[in-house]
Amino acid sequence: MSDAILRGKAWVFGDDVDTDLIYHNKYLAETDPKKMAQYSFEYYPGKEHFAKEVKPGDFVVAGRNFGTGSSREHAVYCLKEIGVPVVLAENYARIYYRNAINNGYPVLFVNGMSDAIKAGKIQDGDELEVDLAAGRIKNVTKGTEFHGDAVTDLEKDIMGAGGLIEYLKAQAAKK
Amino acid sequence: MGKTMIQKIMQRASGKEVQIGDRVWCNVDLSTARDFGGPNCVLQFEEVTDKQGKVWDPKKIAFTFDLQAPAHSEKVSNNQKIIREFSRKQGIDKVFDINWGIGQHVLLENGHVKPGDVILGTDSHMNLLGAVGAFATGVGNTDIVASWILGTLWFRVPETMKITATGKFAKGVYMRDLLTHLVGTLGADGMFFKAVEFYGDTVENSTLADRITLCSMVTEMSGKVGLIMPSGPVLDWLAARAGDEVRQRVKDLAADADAPYCQEVSVDVSKLEPLASCPDAPDNVKKVREVAGEKIQQVHIGSCSNGRFEDITAAFEVLQAGGFQVSPEVRTIITPSTREVMKQCAEAGYIQKFLEAGVVFTNPTCSLCTAEHYGALPSGDVAISTTNRNFIGKVGKGSHTYLMSPASAMASAVRGVITDPRDILG
Repeated sequence: MSDAILRGKAWVFGDDVDTDLIYHNKYLAETDPKKMAQYSFEYYPGKEHFAKEVKPGDFVVAGRNFGTGSSREHAVYCLKEIGVPVVLAENYARIYYRNAINNGYPVLFVNGMSDAIKAGKIQDGDELEVDLAAGRIKNVTKGTEFHGDAVTDLEKDIMGAGGLIEYLKAQAAKK
Repeated sequence: MGKTMIQKIMQRASGKEVQIGDRVWCNVDLSTARDFGGPNCVLQFEEVTDKQGKVWDPKKIAFTFDLQAPAHSEKVSNNQKIIREFSRKQGIDKVFDINWGIGQHVLLENGHVKPGDVILGTDSHMNLLGAVGAFATGVGNTDIVASWILGTLWFRVPETMKITATGKFAKGVYMRDLLTHLVGTLGADGMFFKAVEFYGDTVENSTLADRITLCSMVTEMSGKVGLIMPSGPVLDWLAARAGDEVRQRVKDLAADADAPYCQEVSVDVSKLEPLASCPDAPDNVKKVREVAGEKIQQVHIGSCSNGRFEDITAAFEVLQAGGFQVSPEVRTIITPSTREVMKQCAEAGYIQKFLEAGVVFTNPTCSLCTAEHYGALPSGDVAISTTNRNFIGKVGKGSHTYLMSPASAMASAVRGVITDPRDILG
């Protein structure tokens, strides 16, 4: 895990963001992860322009149950490929969570994020500084701070290897 | 302390004692993929194994084609071919091509699902197979590929909620309404990461179709799997399809009397009325009567939630009571879940009557859940569907959908506006 501080703008979403809003079923037939980036959030009301305007390094910030719905791994690939380095949500729906871990894609569990979004304490365009290793999230624009928990248990080992397939290869190499 | 069903299932699958919160590697009984997700799995597996890889056990892998069956886009058509060629190369026989229907239902009918089985699929509603006591789950392509290599997969041992339903449904009220009631009261994360066990005389006396319905929106409450141990006629049906071994599985894997539940919920279904998940979320629940009168442009009856013979029968009965004619202002589409269900509808004389009434009766597919198959909605349309998700634009940008029971959906198709089925059934 890098010691660098990540800097970027916040893109803020609500609770229960469903996978059709992250990556619509229209594009399920796509098999190349690099081609999935362009469809990110195309169906999210008010954020249809996300894929065109997001800069690599910008953050996706969300409330509870992010990624609820479909098992489509496309919904993780598209954010990874478009350059969002980590998702900062209160928590994640279980299949989305699995798909992120299996791809070594960082997610932090940010206590209080759902309420903070509702209270306007973090908004679109806010400048954020994220210390991934420490789990520290600073909203530079608003002068507030959050703490995010990284994953633990087996998921931590899988993330550490870079994803599930990499983890399995490392385990096989040990034998 | 006793063990819950999911604990017993994971113990059997992992060969070790499991505590809630543990991570375990479970032997996979069946690893499946659809024509959506499936090609992604094949391409990833070939890449990861330098095209040299052999799957761990071709007899424990299945593919079902149901996103576009038949394919109407070249891209999906090529994806289906990728799966066919991979299956031939690997010796995978269980390829249910475009003439079968919705994956979970096809696998169930063909005897590939037993209580306690660990089953994977590239669809988040795989877990409705919990209706016969299987631990089935939707996963992404990486999890599938890992299972093709190892034959096992990692899981967290979840807490379990217990839900007890008692009483008989009033006329015009169905299992789907109980399901909608649960989604409305528990909310979009009401079952967060949990397994659920369903009990009570309502469940005990219910058909397989109803049990499937009840288990089909655990995903929409962010749950892991809804489990019902098969019993009575459902167990007999399952034994006839999957073998008598299922009877021993039921004995071995039923929850202990002192199993620990993190939450217990009880519902007296006799008090329920027809309900709707209103635009734009499954947990935005109101009584159908409350939203009655709104004009709709399309009604689609089917899906893995409510596409079986009993579901279509309920719709047929409302159509019959309503004079065997749907409103000319409403596009009414019925999609059976499988070829077997479609045959049952034909044998019962339904299809003739549906066609005469102005209904479009299609072959079995997952169609009604995507914007890429028949029934896609234009911007501004309001539709009713018996599927399990209604987020804005799901079946077409700018469209809105109400989710209801087949009876409520058909009542609305008959009148041309959202209609409580009790107003037609009497």
